[in-house]
Amino acid sequence: MKTVESIRDFFLAVNSYELKQAYQNLSDQSQDEAPAVAHWQEVEFAFNRLFIGPAALQAPPFSSVYLDGESLVMGKTTLDVRQMYSALGLESPWKNSLPDDHISLELDAALAMNHIVQQTDQVEIQELRARFMTHMDSWVPLFAERVQSAPSHHPAINYVVKCLSQWLREETEQGKERI
Amino acid sequence: MNKANNAHEAQAGICPLTRRKFVKGLLAAGLLSNLPCGLLRPMLSEANEIVYEGNYEIFRNACPRNCYDTCSIKTFVQDGVVKFIEGATESTFTRGGLCVKGYGYTRRPYSPDRIKYPMVQEGRGSGNWKRVSWDEAMTRIAKKILEIQDKDGTLLGMALSKYSGNFGITNYGVEGMMSSLGYTTRLTGTPCWPAGIDAQNFDLGDMWCNDPEDMVNARYVILWGGNAAWNSVHTVKYVYEAQRRGAKIVVIDPLLTQMAAKADEYWQIKTSTDGALALGMARHILDKNLYDRDWVKANSIGFEEFAEYLRNNITVDWAAKESGIPAANIIALAEEFAAAKPATIWIGYGMQRHVNGGASVRAIDALVAMTGNVGKIGGGARYGHLRTWGFNYHALLQKQPEGAKGVPGKSEVKGDFHFAGGDETSDISYSDRSLNINKTAQVILDTNDPPIRMLWVACKNPFSQDFDRNKMVKAFNKLEMVVTVDQFFNETVAMSDIVLPVTTLFEEWTINASYWHYWLSINERAIKPMYETKSDIQIAATLSKKINELRPGSCTFPTKIDSKEWMAKEFNQGIYDLFGINSWEDLKKGPVKAKMHQAAWHDLKFGTPSEKYEFKSELAEKWGNKALPEYVAPRPKNDKYRLLTPHTKFGLHSQFVNLDWSEEFNPEPFVYIHPELAAEKNIEDGNTVRVFNSIGEVITKAKISTVVPADAILMYEAWFKNNPYNVQNVVDDTSSDMGAYKTGQPGVAIHDQFADVAKV
Repeated sequence: MKTVESIRDFFLAVNSYELKQAYQNLSDQSQDEAPAVAHWQEVEFAFNRLFIGPAALQAPPFSSVYLDGESLVMGKTTLDVRQMYSALGLESPWKNSLPDDHISLELDAALAMNHIVQQTDQVEIQELRARFMTHMDSWVPLFAERVQSAPSHHPAINYVVKCLSQWLREETEQGKERI
Repeated sequence: MNKANNAHEAQAGICPLTRRKFVKGLLAAGLLSNLPCGLLRPMLSEANEIVYEGNYEIFRNACPRNCYDTCSIKTFVQDGVVKFIEGATESTFTRGGLCVKGYGYTRRPYSPDRIKYPMVQEGRGSGNWKRVSWDEAMTRIAKKILEIQDKDGTLLGMALSKYSGNFGITNYGVEGMMSSLGYTTRLTGTPCWPAGIDAQNFDLGDMWCNDPEDMVNARYVILWGGNAAWNSVHTVKYVYEAQRRGAKIVVIDPLLTQMAAKADEYWQIKTSTDGALALGMARHILDKNLYDRDWVKANSIGFEEFAEYLRNNITVDWAAKESGIPAANIIALAEEFAAAKPATIWIGYGMQRHVNGGASVRAIDALVAMTGNVGKIGGGARYGHLRTWGFNYHALLQKQPEGAKGVPGKSEVKGDFHFAGGDETSDISYSDRSLNINKTAQVILDTNDPPIRMLWVACKNPFSQDFDRNKMVKAFNKLEMVVTVDQFFNETVAMSDIVLPVTTLFEEWTINASYWHYWLSINERAIKPMYETKSDIQIAATLSKKINELRPGSCTFPTKIDSKEWMAKEFNQGIYDLFGINSWEDLKKGPVKAKMHQAAWHDLKFGTPSEKYEFKSELAEKWGNKALPEYVAPRPKNDKYRLLTPHTKFGLHSQFVNLDWSEEFNPEPFVYIHPELAAEKNIEDGNTVRVFNSIGEVITKAKISTVVPADAILMYEAWFKNNPYNVQNVVDDTSSDMGAYKTGQPGVAIHDQFADVAKV
């Protein structure tokens, strides 16, 4: 769980301090050695070029950009994801100001689903979780590839993305086993 | 892509229409308490639980860009998300349609490329950006402003570069913010249409055009130096209707535009010789006694002097030689125009962007007036109007803080859209410092005592729209701080220290009027501002709060404002009476049209000193021009070929071209050259070429085209997202002949440019 939380927090970081905190938390959880970072400011600049702006994003952290075929946010995928949160009685605290399909919100939803799944046998929730993981699996690899091949790629950010991919692989495999 | 499609298939059916039951089950089982998620929260209400197809909230918006059409928009929103937009059907002008750019509006708030947060650049142009809070951004800006105040004793070191990126009435709060801080430096004037504005003011006493919907009543229409098919698509239906009713449509333009292609007759005039053609026609009409003697006698002054000038200086043969249009055709054009009642000329803004642009407009005005077509339904010398802009300018009119100092003395506030000159009775002893917006780079470099230390850029992209881009780079190097407020990253943002994210039209309240048609729209806040964006007036309030915290009394702008209330404060009884409404709330039902006569100057009471049409204008002479609409020679050629940089189809100045829908049709820029010139230069279609002159160069691909004359080079003015293409590399800041009288500064000779071209 801590791994997911750390990845989630990394993608929501607003400055190098928060990036560093999340990165350290993540590397504490991981068996793979995290690349050492000498200058966190450089990670911050790269992070902003990839995910924040102000220039056109090199790797937008929103699933709709990869799935809707229109490279926009707040379209079908964003609203489908919103519906999935809604199915759990949840919503984003930044509804209609940050797209619901931001990677961090999706990771947060995965945390919630995993928690509920462990405590109930309800078929609906199992199905919902499986569908949500299929959704994540449909875009996160594309996102990861884009981050790693972006002009502003950075070893530290690549590491986080690798951990994200690893987690997702494990989750989807576990899900298959359950079904 | 396949993967994406599969994903959608996998998702199909997840939409939990049984959510209520589902959630209740989870609640009953106690599974929704102590969830490990740190972000998502229990839904606050079930109000938006199920969204049915078609269950839209409808909001009223309006396109706030610098465009004739200023379209009224209906915005369809579901669960706080804009789903689609349409043109408002209530406006007979918009008539349910938008333009190719306007339909792309939904791409603006939801583009992942949007500027989302306040950010600070570590090293201008470095691309090393840090995200900061609004508080931190404002602290940095406020401290700089206070530092300037302390160093110089005034705020003249703080300058504003703002123009037409957003013509919302409340967006004048940017100017209000500057005033509320003190006396500052303003880049005033307009690159757009000032020479023509002065020309019409000298001739008629104001710029006032017939209702474009009245174009259907014309029996003869000349579209002169404007490409309405691209730049005022809604007006074209009235041109077609006039044609259907029997009118002849003539286009005069150096370029074979889309409008020209749709005309009955097209004349490819030599650039900047429009005055010669108009005067040649006038001479022929005079000689043949085809002018409206009664109208001229009753409603004008100076006609005899004008006639004398024509007889002594102008011949049809001379006009033919100057303009490149054969004498026989000038004669035919003149006779047809004079015979048709009513006949109208639509004067495009392109034709006055010349060193003789104002003089050319005056010559055309004279042609329309001498044929008795001014003040007539279906007639008129149509250029633009500002008759529906009588708002309160509450956001604009802010008082300077007590004790603020500026340029000694009180000076008149001018500008094309500056209707409110402040409190005329107040005992003001200082003024802002006004510098020419059309020479932005030069004035930044030249101005000292105090120098411009800080530039605030809003509703504008100077690197894309101001002239001599290489000089602009030097000018920016002189600035100590640049703050840019924008929606998308462009070269100006790249050259800024701080960028602030601004709302789109869907996320703010304002009002929009047109400088062409007679309709008025409100612009409602249809959705919550995305990310951390704020409107211009909210930004001003945020800055005011911070700077007053740091030094109380240093800014008079309110620190907290309600955008809707501020929009409402712009209305007055005059506006209500003009539009026949009781309250601004009536505009929620749709746009309304001003209750004005469809013919400008219908009462023939002109706004000139003589209250007549002035063929001879002493005012024009006082402002350094000829009293009569005499011919002024074009700018002498200073390089091999004429360079034209008009509007593109898929953008409006620096806006829209970066949006995905525009990119699909217009992914890269070209330079268009005639086959003869291409052959001479050994250039083939698709070759990379260099367009160059004494101030810079542009490297891009060539397209061989016969829309451009053989002695000219055409590049559309635009800003591309991933391309350094910038026509301002080769467009200098030479002034046009008029503009200073009404807009405070002369215009700029955008189309009097010359360059060479070579294969790279």
